[in-house]
Amino acid sequence: MTVDQQAKSQALAPPARKSRAERLSTVRKIWPWAFLSLMIVLFTITSKAINDVNFLSLRSVQGILVYTTQILLLALGETMIIIAAGIDLSVGFTLGLSAVIAAEIMKYLFALQMSPWLVIPAGMLGGILICIIPGWINGFLVARMKVPAFIGTLGMQYAVFGAALLISGGYPVAQQPPYLGQLGNGSIIFYWLKKGLFFFKAPEAAQTADMQNILPILPNVVFITLLVTLVCWYILAKTQFGQHLYAIGGNFQAAVRAGIRVQRTLILVYIIAAVLAGIAGVLWAARFTSGAANAGETSTLMAIAAVVIGGASLFGGEGNIIGTVIGSLIIATIQFGLVILGLQPFWQYLAVGVVVIIAVIVDQFGRTLE
Amino acid sequence: MEPLLRVIELTKRFGGLVAVDKATVDIFPGEVVGLVGDNGAGKSTLIKMVSGVYQPDGGDIYFDGKNVTFAGPRQARDLGIETIYQDLALAENLDVGSNIFLGREIKQKYAGGLLHSLDRRKMRDESAACLARLEIQVPSLTQQIRNLSGGQRQAVAIARSIYWNARLMIMDEPTAALGVSEQRKVLTLVRTLAGQGVPVIIISHNMQDVFAVADRIVIMRRGKKVAERIAAETTPDEIVSLMVGAEAVHEMGVIPKALTQD
Repeated sequence: MTVDQQAKSQALAPPARKSRAERLSTVRKIWPWAFLSLMIVLFTITSKAINDVNFLSLRSVQGILVYTTQILLLALGETMIIIAAGIDLSVGFTLGLSAVIAAEIMKYLFALQMSPWLVIPAGMLGGILICIIPGWINGFLVARMKVPAFIGTLGMQYAVFGAALLISGGYPVAQQPPYLGQLGNGSIIFYWLKKGLFFFKAPEAAQTADMQNILPILPNVVFITLLVTLVCWYILAKTQFGQHLYAIGGNFQAAVRAGIRVQRTLILVYIIAAVLAGIAGVLWAARFTSGAANAGETSTLMAIAAVVIGGASLFGGEGNIIGTVIGSLIIATIQFGLVILGLQPFWQYLAVGVVVIIAVIVDQFGRTLE
Repeated sequence: MEPLLRVIELTKRFGGLVAVDKATVDIFPGEVVGLVGDNGAGKSTLIKMVSGVYQPDGGDIYFDGKNVTFAGPRQARDLGIETIYQDLALAENLDVGSNIFLGREIKQKYAGGLLHSLDRRKMRDESAACLARLEIQVPSLTQQIRNLSGGQRQAVAIARSIYWNARLMIMDEPTAALGVSEQRKVLTLVRTLAGQGVPVIIISHNMQDVFAVADRIVIMRRGKKVAERIAAETTPDEIVSLMVGAEAVHEMGVIPKALTQD
């Protein structure tokens, strides 16, 4: 071995860093799980003690999951954008726009006496597709016009809200076709006591006594959100597009120099986030058989909070879908739990705010020590 | 021997400022060329035109005998012009393999080509092989770049260029942020590259480095190429006086020692 080679291997030998930094990063990774478990235990005990309500009953778990879907669908897109060091403040109102457009289309076509099996898909498709427009504009502003994402999407938030209000006239869009509510509030898997599982449709019971033994297991909206979440996980963790989002968020200049088509990637990610908001919007329309411009009014910040709690860095480059799912569950659990405890709904915002601040502190603390 | 790269009267303006003024340089296969000049002399701008980051306002670039124009860095890279900047252009949040394949990830297709995903294992294996060829050791290929030392990062950046069959390597201040032993290691790598026929252009302020590694030195001042010297036939004193200009040297009376010894 020559002197040079020796210097080489010495200089590049593995550095001796471990223990503390690694333990801290483990803490950062598992604390959302621990926190969620703690919340569930706490709410289970307190709701039993105070209201004699079982927090872990099928109905209440389903309630939390359904509540999670709206936050999660927005948070999935937000995760991808935040990983690419952006932010989208408009997704909540994009949800509203989608709900309004879907409801308007369904109302109009249903008034023409078309079959609900045509009306509902048409409305949903319309509601989702319309979101490509604000998504593309967001991406264009951020990627091409170099408008700071915070400002560009803040503007878009008001523009989209205004458009939805104009289209709906400021009122909820009612007079929806039949079956819409069943789709939004129905279940895809049923369990009939002692008779097993049934899929897609509730089994028809001969006697009313039997009806009580048929339990909806998996709500449609939860099922759809689950599928969408899997797709998003795949995109982010497995595809080149996902890898490029991490690269853009990690080092924008490096991504440009590596020949990554940064502008195209950014425009696409804002479109994806808007389309996910669109899906959340049509699901909202199905759940409430209506469309309202303010359907997702408070959801944007809840979604961003979920992403942050899930371990994403607002500086970009860090985050993942599983974390975001946990973050969304934490927020939904807090909100639902406080309602079950019989507290005024206003407490939710306070509680979510505190959790977000804790999340950021844990994150910062871990980072500086690393 | 034909030059691999010919830059003829290349010019770049930023508003009223002429950053590079009709610079003409030839680079031959297998040589290490030091590109020196004071701050703002136009070294980086010249290099960025060659690597496709800036589009020249005048002049021609010939690569391998052909007149080329680059719409972006990708085109330059496709021809084999690899640039390693001072900041190394590594994504610190990604691992070694991901960085070597940044923007050129290996994909595997399934479901009849409908779906594709990253082939992380293959990228990792190829990275390991490439690092081994260059005798570069990193603690772990799955380690994020932010956990590596400065020399290791530099080595990863170099390995990336080598892996992609660099035909011309441009390095901007490669040793600036390194400790002494790591500096030496990087300079050894540079000579290894040149030995394999890949010419290297090194931008540096450090006269010691330039003289340790360069065959030829190109000196720029205020956007113009003012001189070119064979390293063995010149001295750091002469290079510095060319960098700062004869008048300046004259005013100072002597060349301050601080300028010649970095």
